[in-house]
Amino acid sequence: MQEFDVLVIGGGASGLRAAIAAKRAGASVALITKVHPLRTNSAIAQGGLNAPLGKDDSSESFAEDTLLAGDNLCERDVLRIFTREAAKEVFWLERMGVPFNRDREGRLDRRRFGSNSHNRTCYADDRTGHIVLQVLHEQFQREQIASFEEWYVTSLAVDGGNCVGAIALGLRGGQLESFSARSVVIATGGFTRLYLPSTASLGTTGDGQSLAYNAGARLTDMEMIQFHPTVFPKKQGLLITEAALSDGAIIVDQKGGSITDPKGMPRHKICLSIHQAMQNGGGSVSLDLRPIGKEKLRANFPQTQELVRTVAGLDATKDLVPIRPVAHRPMGGIETNAAGETAIAGLFAVGECACNGLNGAGRLAGNTLSEAMVFGRTVGEAAAQHATAAAKRNFPAAMLADEEKCLVTITSGDSTNKDTLGKIHSELGSLMNEKVGLIRNHTGLQEALGRIQSLKDRYSRLRVKNPSRIYNYELTSYLELSSMLTLAEVVTLAAEARTESRGAHQRADFPERDDTNWKSHTVVNLAGGSGQLQKKPVAAG
Amino acid sequence: MQVTFKVYRKDPEKDGKPGRSNYALELPEDATVLDALLKIRDESDTTLAFRGACGRGYCGECMMRVNGSARLACTAKVPDYTKKGPEISLDPLRNVPVIKDLVFDWDAFMWNKIKQVKPWLEPGDSPVNGENLVADLEMQDLRKVMSCFYCGMCDEGCTVLPVDFNFLGPAALTKAYRLAFDPRNKDSREQVKIVEKPKGIWDCVHCYEADEHCPRGIEPTKRIVALRDRAFNSGITHEAVARHHASFAASVKESGWLDEGRLAVESEGLTNVKGLMKLLPTAVKALARGKAPIPYMHSKRPDAGKIKKIFEKAEQEEK
Repeated sequence: MQEFDVLVIGGGASGLRAAIAAKRAGASVALITKVHPLRTNSAIAQGGLNAPLGKDDSSESFAEDTLLAGDNLCERDVLRIFTREAAKEVFWLERMGVPFNRDREGRLDRRRFGSNSHNRTCYADDRTGHIVLQVLHEQFQREQIASFEEWYVTSLAVDGGNCVGAIALGLRGGQLESFSARSVVIATGGFTRLYLPSTASLGTTGDGQSLAYNAGARLTDMEMIQFHPTVFPKKQGLLITEAALSDGAIIVDQKGGSITDPKGMPRHKICLSIHQAMQNGGGSVSLDLRPIGKEKLRANFPQTQELVRTVAGLDATKDLVPIRPVAHRPMGGIETNAAGETAIAGLFAVGECACNGLNGAGRLAGNTLSEAMVFGRTVGEAAAQHATAAAKRNFPAAMLADEEKCLVTITSGDSTNKDTLGKIHSELGSLMNEKVGLIRNHTGLQEALGRIQSLKDRYSRLRVKNPSRIYNYELTSYLELSSMLTLAEVVTLAAEARTESRGAHQRADFPERDDTNWKSHTVVNLAGGSGQLQKKPVAAG
Repeated sequence: MQVTFKVYRKDPEKDGKPGRSNYALELPEDATVLDALLKIRDESDTTLAFRGACGRGYCGECMMRVNGSARLACTAKVPDYTKKGPEISLDPLRNVPVIKDLVFDWDAFMWNKIKQVKPWLEPGDSPVNGENLVADLEMQDLRKVMSCFYCGMCDEGCTVLPVDFNFLGPAALTKAYRLAFDPRNKDSREQVKIVEKPKGIWDCVHCYEADEHCPRGIEPTKRIVALRDRAFNSGITHEAVARHHASFAASVKESGWLDEGRLAVESEGLTNVKGLMKLLPTAVKALARGKAPIPYMHSKRPDAGKIKKIFEKAEQEEK
């Protein structure tokens, strides 16, 4: 058995930041990640990270913009912490070696991004996430933190209402092992592989949320899923950064006419405009990057140009790029407070898998990386502190053996069943996109609940045919699909419950925002084998 | 379209001997190799092991050889290959231990080598006003180098690694460049010292395969040469190869042509008795055939002065 003070699950931006912070706060730390940190979804983030650095900018303005993008569902105490700390984290990243773009005086340059009212997005070309992730990994290695790469967490260990660690399967060696810890931080990222297409990596399957939910934590605002407006719609959607819009790119309909000026509009509004245009004209919508100019495209959007070429087979300087809104990332997740604490003592969550109330019904463009840094640090420190104060608890003795038995049952493959994981995932992905997508209604949501249940029944009849433990991706896919089916139900329940339209959640049958009844979060917990939903009002002041 | 994939197999839980499995399948026209592999694993053979993460050309995880050439599976479009024939072969990368099927050992191949170059910045004290003030031109170069997404193509094409797997390789050395040339790194000198040791910058044979292979135009060979220049300028020259370069340049600068005797002796090192003793048998044989150049007994070329001026001008420009 492995023993640490703090166990961080998930090796992306927020996980690495939390691990570094926990180590620097004096804890013994281990990271468990199912892919190498440099292969995580964070590497894909392009646009930048926000901080109110300009002379005429302020944390108040920053908070206002965030609240607007969140359509009034944000928690103000978390907002205050975030807007106050963002600058510190950007400076920290710069000190640690992120080669941000600079202005003529050598200061951090800031671009206008999304619906930010000021230029406050610091950036490194259009590869900000990729570069920030590298610097985080550099510092992670500097701290000599134990790293279990290509290990898949199969369960959380909870004893008497306290999280005491986790069990994980090492893909390379094939061994199942217990990890005892006083604090566990889940930083596993989003779950938008639930939707097909989506902009997320193959592994963005909501494992952390599912683990936490099954262990007794609560999931909040799960209906709030942001669609990104400018995505080339292949199965693995190629996202084109919104910064392109700020720099001159325009969205045109099939006839070439420009769609409503998207500059400064929150994402959900741009998505709706595009959706409208596609319904009306019945045709495709495209992104015209040519107005940016060849020179600027090459200088400021090298990643965009390269990927448009290799994935879409198009030349951004000559061709129109077909786009449509595609599921991007969730605002909702594991319910936490500002310190990342969940309903289970010793269990923390941070980053895209968590929901501390910062984002409300929509993320402000450029906030996600800043959030990962600010709260990665806050939660890492909180986890370290908890580990110091917490009493030593024993890891449940029989758990490892029970988990072994579980795996054996799962891998007792039946080759007569013609159904496959891929087929179920494919149907689930289309279903969510259609019925729980950009615009929802009661009938569609009810139908979705029914079909999710039948997909779950089909899943329960499947077994893993591959008996191997070493690099058994059939087994990990099986477990990932379970996470997605669990979350699909929660998302749909929450979407059905919220009888209003707010931010990313749009109801055709309830098109107005209803602050009287719905200035609240949806909160779902597992009780008696099914999801129980409650409303939690946004805190006053 | 109908395609047959012939995929490399290796099972560490059985005999570990390499083999091949053939899979015939129907694919849509826009399918990539990764799409095909996912379909094979889902419908035909769930034991097939291969990696994939972002699925869109970003992260470097799905590197493999498609019909013998290294590339990302997620951007390899199947029709581009079926144009030439109905079969596509898939293999792991060269120069790297294979664990299972197409899953090779990234740790041995790259991650561990990067660890060896001390891959982090040592930050200086916090600047008073928030950020260090630096010119964007310097940051631009770093951003270029850090566009590296660890695809491993440079290491895969390297001509030294098949001969000496312990050579750090272009990927790790490019990482070292990133850290040595970051003006905010307090330890940049240490960074150079580390890669100046054996298996480092001096083991590159500048075949330029790395530059040919890099899909992002990062030019690893150029970075390795820059590290060598940095090593010379900082007086960090422990290796025989460094002494070799210094001696070569010195004799051409002084006399207009190469003093081979001096080169042999100075490469070994004037105080390196053991090394010098090794040269004796060759020196004796050469002397017997009238081909021994006596070190330091070396005439100047007629235009030696002009050549010296070229060197001085270049040295001036470098400053």
